[in-house]
Parts: sequence; C-alpha cells; structure tokens
Amino acid sequence: MGDKPADKKDVWQGTLALMVLKTLQSMGPLHGYGIARRIEQTSGDLLLVNYGTLYPALLRLEQEGYVSSEWGFSDNNRKAKYYKLTRAGRKQLNKEEREWEQTTAILARFLAPGEERS
Amino acid sequence: MRRLRTWFSRLGAGFGRRRREGELSAEMESHLQLHIEDNLRSGMTPSEARRQALLKLGGLEQTKEDYRERRGLPLLEAWWRDFHFASRVLRKNPGFTCVVVFTLALGIGATTAIFSVLESQLWRPLPFLDSERLVDVHVVLRKNPRQWDVITNSVCRAWAEQNHTLSSLGAYNFPLSRNLTAGGRSERVRVMPLTSSTFKTLDVPLERGRTFLPEEETAGRDHVAILSHEVWQTRFASDTNVIGKALTIDGELYVVVGIASPRLRFEYLPEPALFVPLVPDPAAKVMRGIYMIGRLGPGVSVEGARADLDSILQRQLQAEGAKQEDLAGVSNLRVTWTEYSARPLYFFAGAILLVLLIACVNNAGLLLARGLARQREFALRATLGASRSNLIRQSSAESLLLSVAGGTAGTMLGIWGSGVFGGFWSEDTLPRHTEISLDGRVLLFVLGASIFSALLMGILPALFSSRVDLNETLRKGASGLSAGRSQHRTRNLLVAVEVCLALVLLFGAGLFLSSFIREKQAPRGFDAPGALTFRISLRGENYAQPDQQKRYFRSLTDQIRSLPRVQEVTLGTGIPLDGSQLFASLNVAGHPPRNEHGTGVIVYSVEPNFLQALHIQLLAGRGLDPRDTETAPRVALINRNAAHTLFGSEDPVGKVLEYVADKRRDVPAKAPVQVVGVTENTQEFGPSEVAFDVIYVPFSQNPDQGASIVVSSNLPRGALLGAIRDAAYSLDKDQPLYDVKTLDQLIGESLRGSQFDLILVGCLAAVALALVSVGIFGTVAYFVQQRTQEFGIRLALGATPGHVLREAISGAYTMGLVGLAFGVAVALALGRILGSALYLVPHEHSGMLFGVKIYDATSMTVACIVLLVVLFLAGFVPARRAMRVDPMVALRYE
Repeated sequence: MGDKPADKKDVWQGTLALMVLKTLQSMGPLHGYGIARRIEQTSGDLLLVNYGTLYPALLRLEQEGYVSSEWGFSDNNRKAKYYKLTRAGRKQLNKEEREWEQTTAILARFLAPGEERS
Repeated sequence: MRRLRTWFSRLGAGFGRRRREGELSAEMESHLQLHIEDNLRSGMTPSEARRQALLKLGGLEQTKEDYRERRGLPLLEAWWRDFHFASRVLRKNPGFTCVVVFTLALGIGATTAIFSVLESQLWRPLPFLDSERLVDVHVVLRKNPRQWDVITNSVCRAWAEQNHTLSSLGAYNFPLSRNLTAGGRSERVRVMPLTSSTFKTLDVPLERGRTFLPEEETAGRDHVAILSHEVWQTRFASDTNVIGKALTIDGELYVVVGIASPRLRFEYLPEPALFVPLVPDPAAKVMRGIYMIGRLGPGVSVEGARADLDSILQRQLQAEGAKQEDLAGVSNLRVTWTEYSARPLYFFAGAILLVLLIACVNNAGLLLARGLARQREFALRATLGASRSNLIRQSSAESLLLSVAGGTAGTMLGIWGSGVFGGFWSEDTLPRHTEISLDGRVLLFVLGASIFSALLMGILPALFSSRVDLNETLRKGASGLSAGRSQHRTRNLLVAVEVCLALVLLFGAGLFLSSFIREKQAPRGFDAPGALTFRISLRGENYAQPDQQKRYFRSLTDQIRSLPRVQEVTLGTGIPLDGSQLFASLNVAGHPPRNEHGTGVIVYSVEPNFLQALHIQLLAGRGLDPRDTETAPRVALINRNAAHTLFGSEDPVGKVLEYVADKRRDVPAKAPVQVVGVTENTQEFGPSEVAFDVIYVPFSQNPDQGASIVVSSNLPRGALLGAIRDAAYSLDKDQPLYDVKTLDQLIGESLRGSQFDLILVGCLAAVALALVSVGIFGTVAYFVQQRTQEFGIRLALGATPGHVLREAISGAYTMGLVGLAFGVAVALALGRILGSALYLVPHEHSGMLFGVKIYDATSMTVACIVLLVVLFLAGFVPARRAMRVDPMVALRYE
C-alpha cells in the first residue's frame, strides 16, 4: 500500500504541521479542504500530493492543543469542520518560525562563498 | 508536556469511538463535497468532478485508517478487538473450546499436583537452618553397605570426642510411646530421648527454659523433660509456669525444665511430645536404637566427614579387638529419610506425565486441525488487507484466551489435587509429615509452558497461511484435497501416538487391578469378623515383675469376658497385622546352627484360646491350652514356614528349639522350648511380603508388659468400648487403652496402600481413555467434514453407504491399530525396564505389585479389548455422518 518509511513520515508531518499553523494564522479559521488548497497554492502545487494526509496532521495538532475544531457552515451553506489557531498554537508557530530562521541563517553562513583568508 | 496531553487524548479516544467515527465520515464527506463543488465551478462534469475529488483525496479507507491510528492507541484497540472477536468465535464452537480448555486444565492441574507432592515429600529442605548441611551418621556392614548395623557406646563416644569434620553431633532414639500422666489425666504420647547436643546440631534453641545439663545426661539423674511446643500449647494450655512442675512418665516422676521451639519438628518420625535425656545404660555395650545426626563443618564435604569418622571407627574397633566388619556411613539427612518413598512417587509422576503427553498431543491435533480449516478464512482476510501481524495477533488472541481459561481451571484443579493427595495418603505411607502445598515455581513453569505451547499451536497455522499463495487457497475452496492429505496424515499420526500411550496406561491399570484383587484374596490365615482390638502397655514399678503383669492381664480379660454379650476374649503380645510383633532368634537343639545369629522368628506370646479366637488353623500336634502353666514344661507352636525353615521335611513336633543370645545387643537367651504343634501361616504385615517364621508361646510362661486384646461381641462398638474402658480403669486408671480398631479396620489398613495405587492409576487410565476417544472422534469428524463434498459426489454416482463409511474411517482405524501395536511393544518394554525397580517378582518385599508378572496376559488382553472398543465407537459415530450425506446438499456445500 506504499507506506512511507517512519522517520521520513515524521519529518514530513512536522513540516506539514508548520504549514497548517501558518495557513491558519494568515487565513483565520478554515476547514480542512480550504487548508489543503491554500497549502497547495502557496507551495506551488509541489507539496501536497494527497489531501488525505492532511487529516492525521490536523488531528495531531488538535491533540497537542495547537488548534481547536468546531463544526460550522461554509459560504455555500455546506456543513464543514473549521479549525482555528489557539493561543498555544500561536506561540508554537512563533517559536518554530524563529527556529527555522536560525537554522537557515546558520546554513546560509555555512553554504555561502567563504571569506578567503587571503 | 505536549506528549502527555497527546497520550491522554489518545487514551480517551478509546471511549466514544462510534461518535468519532461518525464525525470522521462526516468530515470526509464534507471535504469531498467542497472539492466537488470547486471542480464543478471550474467546468467538470459531475462524474468527473467526483472522480477527481476522490483521486486527490487519496485512498479514502487508507486516510481513515491513518487517522484512526493517530487517534487511538491502535495496538491496544486492536488487541481488545481481537479478544472480543476471539471470545465470540470460541463461544460459537463450544465443543472445541471445552475440550481444549479441559485438556489444558487437566494437564496443568495434574502436573502441578504431582510435582507439589514430589516437592513437599522429596525435595523440600528440612525445617532447620542450613538443613542441607545436616547429615545422618550411621554404621553399615562392610559386605553390604545398604544394611545398617548397631552403634556401640564406645564408638559413639569416640566420634563425639575425636571428630574434626562435624561442627556438632547429636544422638536420639526413635520416639516410643509411653504413658504420660499429668493433671490427673493419662494418655499415651511419644517420648524421644536425645542428647542436648542435638538441639545445637539442629540449631533450634529452646523457646523457654534450658536444655539438659551434662550431669542430667547420666543414669539416675535423668528425670528431666522438655515439652514439645505443640504439647505445651494443647495439653498445658501454654502455661508459662509449667517449668519446674512435675509430671509422670510410665509411673516415674520427671521435672519439666524447658519448652522446645515450634521449629523443632522431625518430619520423618512420629512427632514427639516430650524430650528426655538420652542416657547410655552403663551395663549395656550398645546404644539401643540410636540415630545420630551431625552438622558438616564449614567447607567439609559428605565424603570428607565419612572418611574422618571411618578412620575413628576403625581405630576404635581395632583397640577393642573387635572384627572390622563395619564401615562408617554419612549421608544427607533429608535424602536418607525420604529415599524409601522416592521410588513409587517417581513412578506416579511418570504415569501422570504420560497422561499429560496424551493431553498435549490431543490439543495439538485439535488446534492444528482447526487452524488448517481456517486457512481459507485467513487467506480471505489477507486479501482484504490484514497484515501478517494482524493474522498472527488474531490467532494469538484465541490461543491466549484458551490458555488463560485452561490455566485458571488447571490451577484450581492443582490446588484441589494436592489437597486430595495429602488427605488420602496416611501417615504410614508418606515419609514426611509436611504440608503438601502448591509449589509456586512449579505452577508458574507449567502455566508458562502450556501458554507457550498453546500459542505455538495457534500461531503456526497463521504463519503458514500468510505464506501460502492466496490465490491458490481461495480457489481451492473448502475441501483443499491435495494439501489435505499430508494434514490428515499428521492428524492420524497423532492419533496413533495417543493410542499407544493410552494402551500403556490401560495396561498399567490392569496390572494394578490384578495386583489389588490378588492382595484382597490372599489368604490371611486368621479372621475374627467384627472383633474389636486394642493394646495396653503396662508402665510403672507396679508392673515390673512378670507376676504382676500376668495378674493384671488375667483380671482384665476375666472382667471383659464377664461383660454381657461378649463371646470371646483373647490376648497376645501382638496380633497379625497390628505391627507390634516381637522378634527372637532360634536354633534347633542338637543341630548345627544355620548361621551364627540363628534363625530370626516372630514371637507371639498368647493365651491358650488365641488360635481358636482368631481361627488360625492347627495343622499338626496340639494347640496351647491351660495346662501350659509357668511351672509346666516350656512349649511352643510354630507355623508352617518355620517348620519348613527349621526342620525341612522332618516332623517338628517334639523337637526342641533353643534361643540364641544376642551378644551385641546384650539380650540373654531364654530357656529352650519344645514344639508341640504346627499352625497355618498368617499374614504378618500385609499381603505382599516375604514368608515369615512365627512361633507362639504361652503367655503364662512368657509374660510381657504390652499386649493386644481381641474382643468378639455383638454389642455395638461404642457401648462395648465404653464397657471395656470402665473395666480397665477400675483396675488401674493410669494404664490407658490405645490403638483401638476393629479387625476389619486392621485388615483394611494393610490394603490401603495398594488401594490408593489402584485408584490413582485407574483414574489416570480413565482420563487417558477419555482423551483418546475425543481425539479419535475429532479426527474422524473433521475428516468427514472436509470431504463432505467428495462423499456426496460418490454417493450420487452410486457408491454404497458402506463403501463411503469404510473410506471415512479407514485412515483413523489403521493408525489406531498401528498405535495399539506400538503400545503393546512399549508397555512390555517399559515393564522390562521398570521391572526390577518395581519389584514385580511375586512375594518380593516392598513391591508395588503383588503376584502379577510383567507379561500378564490377562491385563494386556483386557486393555487391548477396551481400547479397541473405544476406538471403534469413537470413530464410528462421526463416520456415520459420512453415510448420511445428502448428495444434493453436499454438492452445494462449499
């Protein structure tokens, strides 16, 4: 059935979680389908192959307390489950954003053309 | 912190599952609808819109599955689900479930019980500190190291003074019964003389008071006693002031100086109530009936101690100028005292293990058959997406449930069983008076083993099926003929093994039955239907003289004879089977002695009416009568064995027999006697025994302080006993009656050991038979079920029902017969191997079987017939179903 190896899956899940939090921060409360579309658009159709993989990630975020969910109505009056960023989620998002920036800064220094001694 | 929250959330997800399932479905559905709407808006057709939405979502079921895995604790939930399902499956097959659980319980219970008995009787250490360092010290004959010899005073002293391998040495006598009078009441209790060093050797300090002082261990100053803890509690009500008080033992005053610890228990001897100093008789050369125990010094081995004591012994013998025909013997105390019982116990353990084996084979077959029958089911589930671990987990759940059920039942059976063993086996049969408690280690081991085997049997089919080509299995349908053949072969082989083992057990049961019947019918040589017997041992200075003894017993018997409805009263120093026989050594006057110690005989000193009262037949000459008074010439009767041993084919009447003095034990010779008659033999100790030589002498010429009295009367026992007690008390209230039994009880007790053996082996054989029939029934039934379709076709094509029937049973029957043949061979082989160990030779002493040969044809024939009948029935009943198959139903049967 094509399972991804475990560690890769975890990394992917982590990245996906971050994207979800960011999406919710910028878009406000959104349903699952909406989040999936938005991530696809933002990443340029590169990342989210299966919309289905989103839902376990959403569940995990809810279990960790970073998002909360609530049934509501969409524009077309369709019943859908909306996800919202919690305060803890906001804090986690800030933390992870800072960590990413730090990581990329270190890497940038590492990978940049080195200052020659000469 | 986050992880904890996550974990709790996942745990909590176990509850309210249905609601969440519903929510998930709703969310998925809503997602799809939103996507479809978008697709419609971008111009797709409705069907295309839906298809694209579904594709983009990914596998719906897979998504749900991933979600579920995230949500709950999937492993826990899976196990819970599997157990639930497994229990339902098992409930739907009550026959199978019951048989497996029952078999498992039987195996666990029986094995636990027997090992508990073995542990408590043979392996459990004695209740003393560091008890494995305790050794029994004795003297053996050089030419026959299995025979113990006497320990003389000098050797005892030499060992005590000179040894340097034992850290302490103690000595004691066998606890004999004495009359204890205290607080106005008399009873018979066991009194054990021992040295104060014994307390030190066993490392059991007294609870109160003191042990014996050195001066108290000499003659004349030894009238001090230590109470056992039990008697202090029961008889003296734990009165702490009892120390310093006096009590009377056999008419002599003793002062209580101490109270023993409750830990002082001699499990392999009758429990003593009192301890008195062991005092060597200065006039005698030997310590009578002395046993010595020692504690090995640090780092000393048994052999080292033995060598040391032996060198001391040899030096001593040399110094005394005695012949060096003895060796010192040192052996582990526990092993020495349990050796006697070890053999029959191990035999029964072996028999139980046989039954266990049959049970295991049965279970293995059942589980295997069932596993194979469900291969198709496993294949189907694998196709639907169950992984290998899923399938294995499912079968494990079933096996675990079965194991738990079987294990619980087995534990209860084991507890009950060990209790029954303990209760049934009396004091005489079991060597150690310990509690037969359930040994935890054994139970754990057996439980573990059975769970392991059950799991193995349950998992193997799942393992096999997951490798099998799914396609093949599904296409084959329910019959699966070609692979089926090897499966059936295995099944039938298991049947053969079961039948073989069952035959061995049945044969054994037959042997024991034969043996028991022969024992019951063995001629006892005496009888007194309904008679009551009891013993009195006269103690005290009032009865030291023979005249006093005679006078007492005469008065007693006269009084009892005058009671109403008493028909006959007789007296002897012992009666057959009551265990109080006396011994002596004789030579024929005028003939050269047969060996230097004379011929050993049993002596009964009896009243003139003894023979008539006990219906002992007189073969030649005359019986004893009142004219054989103390002043008349000394006479005796001998039994047929003695006549043969002493005189061969000569006529013994009129010949004279001389007593042989026992110089080693300092027993002087009595005056010679003349033989006046020959009696028939009687059983002395039980049916299976060597032939004993017996002489009967008149009580008036050979009085003794102890006697057994037999009363024949048609009074009810209670009334009779009361009247007798009153008569005895009126004569002297300090001489109690004891060992009160009816003659039938006496005879019954001599058979009790073999009766128990028979019941045990019989039960095992019955269980084996039941298991075998179930096994065969199951095999044939399964076989028939698998080939129902084929049988239906055959019947439709014109085969006779008989033909089909034969086809159905032939496999099982053939294997059954093969198993039977093997069983006969194994039984005979086992008989040969064990023969000498079980002493199957008739009349050999201390054997388990009496009067049957190991090739006993009757037992073997009966066992074979019984097994064949069972085989036939167990196979025939399910096979009949094969005949009755409706072809139309069979053809449609899948």
